[in-house]
Amino acid sequence: MMPAAPSPVVTLRRAALLWTAMGLAGAALLPWYAQPDGVLAFDWIGDFGGTAEASGAFTLVLRHGFWWLWPLLGALLGCLSLPLLPAHRRTIGTVLTALAGAGLALFWLQGLAIGVNGWTADWLGAAFGAIDGRQFGIGAGATVVLVALLALLSLGLAARGAFKGDAFIAGAVVAVAASIVIFTVWPVLRILVQAFNTTEGAFAPALLLERLSAPKIWALRCLWGGGGCGVAWNTLFLALCCGAGTTALGLAFALIATRTAFTFKKTLRVLTILPIITPPFVIGLGLILVFGRAGLVNQFLDSAFGIAPTRWIYGFQGVLLAQLFAFTPVAFLVMIGVVEGVSPTLEEASQTLRAGRWDTFRTVSLPLMKPGLANAFLVGFIESIADFGNPIVLGGDYGVLSTEIYFAVVGAQLDYGRAATLALLLLAFALGGFFLQRRVVGTRSYATIAGKGDAGLPVALPDGLRRLAQAIALPWAAFTALLYVFVFVGGFVKIWGRDHTPTLQHYAKAFAIERGPDGLLWTGAAWHSFWTTVKLAAISAPLTALLGLLAAWLLARQRFTGRGALEFATLLSFAVPGTVIGVAYVFTFNVPPLEITGTALILVLCFVFRNMPVGVRAGMAAMSQIDRSLDEASAMLRGRAPQTLAYVVLPLLRPAMVGALVYGFVRSVTTVSAVVFLVTAEYELATTYIVLRVINGDYGLAIAYSCALIALMLAAILLIQLLVGERRLGRRAAVPATAPVGRA
Amino acid sequence: MTMTAGVEFRDIVKRYGDTVAVNGVTFTVDAGSLVTLLGPSGCGKTTILRMLAGLESATSGTISIAGRDVTALSASERDVSMVFQSYALFPHMNVLENVCYGLRRSGVAKASAIERAREALGQVGLDGYDQRQPSELSGGQQQRVAVARALVLRPQVLLFDEPLSNLDARLRRQMREEIRDLQQRLGLTAVYVTHDQQEALAVSDRIIVMNKGRIEQNGLPRDLYERPATAFVANFMGESNQARAMVKRLDGERIVVRLGDAEFIVADNRAADGETDIAIRPETIAIERGAAPAGALAGTIAKAAYVGTHMEYTIDTAAGALFAVCPRVDRPLAPGETVTLTLASRGIIVVA
Repeated sequence: MMPAAPSPVVTLRRAALLWTAMGLAGAALLPWYAQPDGVLAFDWIGDFGGTAEASGAFTLVLRHGFWWLWPLLGALLGCLSLPLLPAHRRTIGTVLTALAGAGLALFWLQGLAIGVNGWTADWLGAAFGAIDGRQFGIGAGATVVLVALLALLSLGLAARGAFKGDAFIAGAVVAVAASIVIFTVWPVLRILVQAFNTTEGAFAPALLLERLSAPKIWALRCLWGGGGCGVAWNTLFLALCCGAGTTALGLAFALIATRTAFTFKKTLRVLTILPIITPPFVIGLGLILVFGRAGLVNQFLDSAFGIAPTRWIYGFQGVLLAQLFAFTPVAFLVMIGVVEGVSPTLEEASQTLRAGRWDTFRTVSLPLMKPGLANAFLVGFIESIADFGNPIVLGGDYGVLSTEIYFAVVGAQLDYGRAATLALLLLAFALGGFFLQRRVVGTRSYATIAGKGDAGLPVALPDGLRRLAQAIALPWAAFTALLYVFVFVGGFVKIWGRDHTPTLQHYAKAFAIERGPDGLLWTGAAWHSFWTTVKLAAISAPLTALLGLLAAWLLARQRFTGRGALEFATLLSFAVPGTVIGVAYVFTFNVPPLEITGTALILVLCFVFRNMPVGVRAGMAAMSQIDRSLDEASAMLRGRAPQTLAYVVLPLLRPAMVGALVYGFVRSVTTVSAVVFLVTAEYELATTYIVLRVINGDYGLAIAYSCALIALMLAAILLIQLLVGERRLGRRAAVPATAPVGRA
Repeated sequence: MTMTAGVEFRDIVKRYGDTVAVNGVTFTVDAGSLVTLLGPSGCGKTTILRMLAGLESATSGTISIAGRDVTALSASERDVSMVFQSYALFPHMNVLENVCYGLRRSGVAKASAIERAREALGQVGLDGYDQRQPSELSGGQQQRVAVARALVLRPQVLLFDEPLSNLDARLRRQMREEIRDLQQRLGLTAVYVTHDQQEALAVSDRIIVMNKGRIEQNGLPRDLYERPATAFVANFMGESNQARAMVKRLDGERIVVRLGDAEFIVADNRAADGETDIAIRPETIAIERGAAPAGALAGTIAKAAYVGTHMEYTIDTAAGALFAVCPRVDRPLAPGETVTLTLASRGIIVVA
């Protein structure tokens, strides 16, 4: 029969001692602090134990007098006492939870209390006495200890009966929660607290009021007198216009696609893929090619009527136009679902009750779409608020919050207090929109699809409405296509607007490869940032997918205390604008205990935690289509949680996995807002490189590079599809998870 | 194969927030027997099954299997298997892989897992279906794979969660016979959940009728039908007419039940004298044409319906409208006809 399993207490003890041993080994044998060239350079071995920089934790405590590491090492050592405890799961669990919890708390307290210059606050020095030690960012040894403590905490919680006693689930929850706290919640809180502080770090709440009430933020001069309005009003006004515009356009497109006999409906749907693979500033670039000083319109007016070229496109109207182009496909996606959700039977019922087509639309269809319209509006609103790429390229004097944050940190100002205040405002706007949207989506809509088959046929649109929708949507679609064509063609002419001689010089400048004596030389200007982008995106995409799907599985399938909080935190990190995340990262992670600013690691972390919520949403959507009883059947058949995950859930989640991988990769390649703060000369990314070229007016190279990026992403999508393959199911293909919304 | 072990459920309570799904339930399942949990939806029967499986944890109380307390163990640590209502066959695995799954997870080597899986598939009559995908099987075949997949682990307890509710009527009867046959042949301990009283009567050694999270009655199938302890059970187990009647005790074993002018002698050792609720089984009412003599129950046909195998009548009597079925369809009675009713003693049940 079945091999007899060892008793739960024995397994628990064995696992706990194993993790303790691992933590102690890490503390003893690996350098506690980060090494300048990375731990894998092994240049620390020579000095190991000699200098504080290259010592393990035990050497630091015993030889270098770093006494503040004692308590946390003590907590770890305390776990060695497990064999002395009575063989009772709950008791062992309580002791483990207490020791590991204390260890973790001490880990962060000492890390935050002692920085590169000793004590980080004067009162700490007064309380504990002067120290001559200083701490750098945590390294390999500290990381191993941190992981071991987290694992011990999970074991302890599970043994106490939390998470249905399953240590794997406990570990997964602790890992996901800890990573979200460390890499999203903590940095955002850090930067928000900075809004209350002076540049030197002293607490000064009055300063926040002063900063918040600055005329640059709230001025209303644009309404009367002259000059511009404050950035807060600018941002809000732009977002309202963008939300209204994209909703109207999205509705027009959706009506045409679902309620008319329009011939090219299928091609309309292609529209929805475009913004996903397009870096956010490409539309802006296209608009410059048409309306910019050297653009087609100005050149034509100049040559035909002698009207001097203007900078008309730079400002509110330019940004709005670009955002309308960029975000209408998203609204289209939302509105298609809404329009299709209106039950045709209701419309048929209305017609049998003597209502004409127009009356039916006005009194039945439109009211049923109202929650959907509100949702689409808020999606456009939120997208516009978070947008950075278009305002930075086209904004000119029209500042919005995201660009103002950037200018507060980059360049001569370097005023984190001001950046933090603006970030606070931006976050408030974004979260306001986000919660409104959640409420709208959350309200029970009577229009949604019931489980029953609906045999009715949708009623055709009234003629006038159909013509109106077509008059709005079709030229818009044509113009969008034209913009992409211009962007494509723009890469192959010498100087757009002046000299339209066909040339490959821009591509050559960006992507030249020469044959040198030592093999190929990647001499093109773009190669460096291109390969960095590909490498970092390729590293972060699988991590994003893994973490996202794991979180999705926990949220969709497990019931545990704090589930609601975890789901809320994941959703929240999706709502935080990239600019806020970027400034928060650069501010939080340039000092110990986590000193990773300027490394590739911070870029990868930023990608992973910016994009993970997409993986979570895709995973949860896919999970809701998989019968829960399959998980339960696996559990009944002796499958433990990790086995169920590996053999049942993941194979069935292939489409969601493809989705998460694609979005993880594509969004890492196309993002601008967050990483613009994090790139360095060594780790330059494609998008930030292009944006700088655009700002400098070097359009040819920027265009060529953008086209190459779009090609790269198409290739990546195909490759991932090929690698992960189709889900092997004998039945009809399941509906793919709906495409999550792209975000700059 | 050896007899498998029994189950003991003691004082189990299950709360979801403020709602009490299961309210202090105690019962045992003898080794080698099949016990059915029967009741309307929301009565707590599926919750009990899932707590037994380890898919839900009890709020309080203890569950033991074969004398071992399993209350705190997770589903994969208990020696039980379950056949799901939806079958829950893994759609990305073929039939053989599905049946092997549990063996592989419990550490059985691949070769012997395949051998045992083939044996189990043979037991349910699915030889040669190894390589099929679940979607290529009919509903009945999928059901058999689900049974084989649960059976192959030789669990101490086999659980069935409404296993036949997705099958059509004809197949349902065939499958329930096969399940009962397999359970008796292999001497399995089984707990079976259904809301279909006929199915319950057909497959069970004992039936536990549940209502609102409590046990209404726990007994042999025949007792539940013929001697229901409560009005709820009488109603739930087959059709019955509710009526008020005067009861008078004749001796320790028998009572006289007075309906209108008629009196019937019924075996009963519980009922007290006085007016009380009774249930009358429709198939135990014999109908004769013509006016009733004194002391018999007279009636008038109110409605008559021909349903193929029998006639269904609604008859107005002094005890109220009674529903009756009559196997004779050759000379049906018409509405308005006067009839005499004779009630079989076993068809009259004092329920309160």
